[in-house]
Amino acid sequence: MTTRVRVFSSSVGTKLLIGITGLALFLYLVLHIGGNLMVFLGRDVFNQYSHMLLSNPLIPVIEIGLVLIFLLHVYKTITMFLGNRKARPIPYEQKKYAGAPSRKTLASSTMILSGLWLLVFVIIHVSTFKYGTEYEAPGTGIRDLYRLELENFSNPLTVGFYVLSMLVVGSHLRHGVASAFQSLGATHPRWTPRLLVAGKVAAAVIAGLFMAIAVWAYATGARS
Amino acid sequence: MRLNLKIWRQAGPGAAGRLEDYTASDVSSDMSFLEMLDVVNDSLVRQGKDAIAFDSDCREGICGMCSLVINGVPHGPDRGTTVCQLHLRRFKEGDTITVEPWRARAFPVIKDLVVDRSAFDRIIIAGGYVSVNCGGAPDGNAILIPKEISETAMDSAACIGCGACVAACKNASAHLFMSAKISHLSLLPQGQVERYRRVVAMIEQADADGFGSCSNEGECEAVCPKEISISNIARMTREYVRAMLVAGK
Repeated sequence: MTTRVRVFSSSVGTKLLIGITGLALFLYLVLHIGGNLMVFLGRDVFNQYSHMLLSNPLIPVIEIGLVLIFLLHVYKTITMFLGNRKARPIPYEQKKYAGAPSRKTLASSTMILSGLWLLVFVIIHVSTFKYGTEYEAPGTGIRDLYRLELENFSNPLTVGFYVLSMLVVGSHLRHGVASAFQSLGATHPRWTPRLLVAGKVAAAVIAGLFMAIAVWAYATGARS
Repeated sequence: MRLNLKIWRQAGPGAAGRLEDYTASDVSSDMSFLEMLDVVNDSLVRQGKDAIAFDSDCREGICGMCSLVINGVPHGPDRGTTVCQLHLRRFKEGDTITVEPWRARAFPVIKDLVVDRSAFDRIIIAGGYVSVNCGGAPDGNAILIPKEISETAMDSAACIGCGACVAACKNASAHLFMSAKISHLSLLPQGQVERYRRVVAMIEQADADGFGSCSNEGECEAVCPKEISISNIARMTREYVRAMLVAGK
């Protein structure tokens, strides 16, 4: 009747793929912020933690998987966005928010813009950190990512760019987290309202903590 | 009362349209919105002008024919209400009201405020039916259905197919309409025969007709005159996954 490929190009299959890749990326962000918080425990702990990751042979495999998930999420969302635009060639002269129980927000209306911003951000972020200057921590022979972090965030423009980008992350997650569950078909009369709140809280917490690290690194670098 | 109207006029499917100004003077606040349009049309006809084309049938909120976007919201400002059940007391003296047709590639304008919604019919033809045995009428209670299942199915079956969900959705998606039909039939024993074939066929038909996908904003639910919940869309996804995995469709 229908092939698996056609299934994933259908409007519902597309949602499934975007939802599952989105949730995987969200899970990655949770692990990412968890690891990054170790920066508050000092240079040695943070460098040891990053060394543990860098020396793990499983990490490159996971990284490749993460890149593929990221690219699939980007590809499916962009193609869906373009398809959706075609579905209404003549716009309304006047269009208004329909009111409760609609979940439409500024965040939900700008997912494509926040997503494109994050695509650019991730490229810059990975090139300045993962592929940034390779310092060696004195007396250990392992990479000094702590120093790189303080250096990168010594520029107020970089801090500003990161704070802004984390607002964009928060906006993307504000709609994205709960929306992903709906896309995967997960609804429940009691749990869905709680999930909607939890998604917004998670968005604020994750974005807030990443911002705090950037600002803290700027302040710490300025002191030393 | 007196109302200023900006109404979309379009001579035909391919013609360019535009908003034109009209005045509804001396109309009663107890009139429905469509009765007000009747009064405006009566005056246009008396002047020898072309009446404003708009859809309506039952005028009691159950047929799904009326289909106007009023001040940017399908079916107007009242929740759980069709345009025919919207009354002028909802507006203030001297208000300016914009009236547009549903806008979607799959719902082309036929004339003025009338759109062609046969894309919905094609979705129903693709899978919105059940197989029944020929012969004498079966006993009404021959198949037992738990109360909560029949209530949930009835909530979905309340969909009148007006298309406001498509009109409200920024993607012009038919997911709420389809999911209501799929939920209604898949929840009941009578809908099991075509259960997996149905969900795949209806989604493929909607995609082929040029409806968009779903961004989970829920504008559809907010404008639905029958208040169909977007939990139906989640159920449609589950049915689709089941069709893929269990039934290998």
